[in-house]
Amino acid sequence: MTEHNPFMSRIRTALGHSAVQAGGVERCSALFRTTDSVEILERIESRSQESRRELLQQFRENAALLNLNVHAAAGFSAAGEIIAGIIQNSEPEFGSDRQVIQHDHPDIAALALSTRLGDGVVLHTTGTADRDLREKTIASFVGLTAPFWGVADSATVVQITMPGQPRSTSLVPAVHIALLRLENLLADLTELYAVLRRDPPASSYVFISGPSKTADIESKLVHGAHGPREMHAVVVGLER
Amino acid sequence: MSAEGTTDYREGARRGLASESLQKNLKNLQNRYGRGALEHWASLAGADPRERVKHKRMQTLENLDVVLAALIEKIEARGGQVYCAETAEEAAAYCLELARRHGVKRVVKGKSMVSMEIGVDALLQEEGIEVVETDLGEYIVQLREEPPSHILGPCVHLNRQQIGSLFAEKLDIAYTDDPPTLTRAARKALRQKLLHADMGITGCNLACAETGEISLVSNEGNIRMATTLPRINVALMGIERIVATMEDHRDLLQLLTRAGALQKISTYVSFAGGPSPAGDPDGPAEFHLVLVDNGRSKILADPQFREILACIRCGGCLNICPVYGRIGGHAYNAFYSGPVGAVLTPLLYGINEHADLCKGESLCGACLDVCPVNNDLPRMLLALRKKLAYGDPDWQVHAHKPFEAKTFRAWRRLISSGPLYRLVLRLLAVLQGPFIAKNGMITKLPGPAGAWTKDRDLPPLARKSFRTRWQERRKAGQGRNDAEVRND
Repeated sequence: MTEHNPFMSRIRTALGHSAVQAGGVERCSALFRTTDSVEILERIESRSQESRRELLQQFRENAALLNLNVHAAAGFSAAGEIIAGIIQNSEPEFGSDRQVIQHDHPDIAALALSTRLGDGVVLHTTGTADRDLREKTIASFVGLTAPFWGVADSATVVQITMPGQPRSTSLVPAVHIALLRLENLLADLTELYAVLRRDPPASSYVFISGPSKTADIESKLVHGAHGPREMHAVVVGLER
Repeated sequence: MSAEGTTDYREGARRGLASESLQKNLKNLQNRYGRGALEHWASLAGADPRERVKHKRMQTLENLDVVLAALIEKIEARGGQVYCAETAEEAAAYCLELARRHGVKRVVKGKSMVSMEIGVDALLQEEGIEVVETDLGEYIVQLREEPPSHILGPCVHLNRQQIGSLFAEKLDIAYTDDPPTLTRAARKALRQKLLHADMGITGCNLACAETGEISLVSNEGNIRMATTLPRINVALMGIERIVATMEDHRDLLQLLTRAGALQKISTYVSFAGGPSPAGDPDGPAEFHLVLVDNGRSKILADPQFREILACIRCGGCLNICPVYGRIGGHAYNAFYSGPVGAVLTPLLYGINEHADLCKGESLCGACLDVCPVNNDLPRMLLALRKKLAYGDPDWQVHAHKPFEAKTFRAWRRLISSGPLYRLVLRLLAVLQGPFIAKNGMITKLPGPAGAWTKDRDLPPLARKSFRTRWQERRKAGQGRNDAEVRND
């Protein structure tokens, strides 16, 4: 930090603050003050199954505008059927290998995909000790992740990087499937920022709202610029 | 650059006006995004957050030292490395040194205006390092070896046929002008570059002091690729691109994507504040944040211009400006074009050197109406014009056109002189005779006055001035009262 001193002191001089004020905590207490989010968090905690279903409907409508396909499943078995169907109906983009990479996550394990996919599909799981993981990810045409949060208003899923849940799974394969629990569906970005403030991610994270896209050539929308060209969100937990 | 850039700006504007693809694409862009943003703000009515957010933005700038210190501390604690560059040269040299140290052969870039500002590409290329832009539009203009013409749509000046020919030549594919096919060709070519790059260089849309993270927005996913696959990450950040809290981030992020692209949120918003933890198969093993001053602290110190640092580079003002919409980005001869460029470029690179930019804008105020942070660009354009008219030692500005200033001073003396003024008018009324064309207008004047008649006609002076006619009528109407004269 000390090696940045001349740089910082030039900025301080530009602002007309003296070196004595350098710490500036009092000067800035208002700057770092944020609105109390207790009410927002309580609203999320006490949300009924009925209003969660309403959020799912909003999520679905907003996702449609972004060409993000939303599927609803009662339980993990039904979700597994849906996901196996998506994989079977997709074609590899780079090469002909039918390889799929899935996050090491209990919800994904509960899908029992290895038994649902035929012999023609190779299924990889992102174990932390696997040195060939990068090659497997590049070779896969479908990436399956279990993002923690979903946001109905912007049709967003939030993927937090963790051991066994690297970021490339939702990025490098041509098709991204996100498995999301209904109870983790939030109303809007205000709710999302409130929960992120309560549970700050320990590593990098990303908001994903639909498949990769570009409109750089004559403003014409094309999906699949660099990230996945196709995205599905499978929301599980409609029973109860 | 002759006569303080005049030739370049005029020539660039002329080229823009003559380009059919530029005119068509910018019209489409402005009709959709510029108007769309204005309609969106109008629909918010009383719930428009811009004033509140701007207030917080200015408050953050007033305490920039404290928020930057908080950011640096957190990133360093996570094992990230922070370098503070006073100048563009220092920032670029840091990247080069880093690349040398790691034997970097290929650098992939996510769209970054600051990277252009510091000229890092050329420096790396001189060293024999391959530098690849990965945003589709940036990639296209890089292949054409020309600068981007819009902050968000770098190749907005090109049509699909031009891009088709370019790809046929450079990517060795059969000619096509189908945007999805062209996009797939670039996707395939760039995927190989991204998978085998040693270093990723990106910008920074918004850093957050409270969490010690930087965030990047993209729709294509190229920025995620460039920050996930290479083993070294460098984020270049202008010192002003920071918010204090995540609540500020939430507000500003939504204003950014709305104003720039009419989106509630961009496809990807990624957050990172250090290298990847051990055991993570993805990169980066090293995370470097380069804070770039390069003239910003001087802007910060000037209360007249501090406001320009509130800009979040959404490109919204380019999507509405009638001047940018006709002449295009290249006419501005700088990395930052449009109304924001007309203020920022002179402040960063010399007010005299870029004198045309503030004078070329029309002061219509559309940029202020559309701006997500209510930046009063027209006010700052006028302030720049004033500096050019009178000079300003603080900004090393010398009076832009002393002859023009002298002419106006002489004009002031003349019009306040009475008899002399009337004499000159009578003289000019006679002298103008040969210049009056068949349509009754003056269509061509000699010398410097020709600049006026080049693009428009000048109405001739009345043969008899109003004052003379008034006096004649007064004389003729002697005996009638004033009211009758008035009704005459």
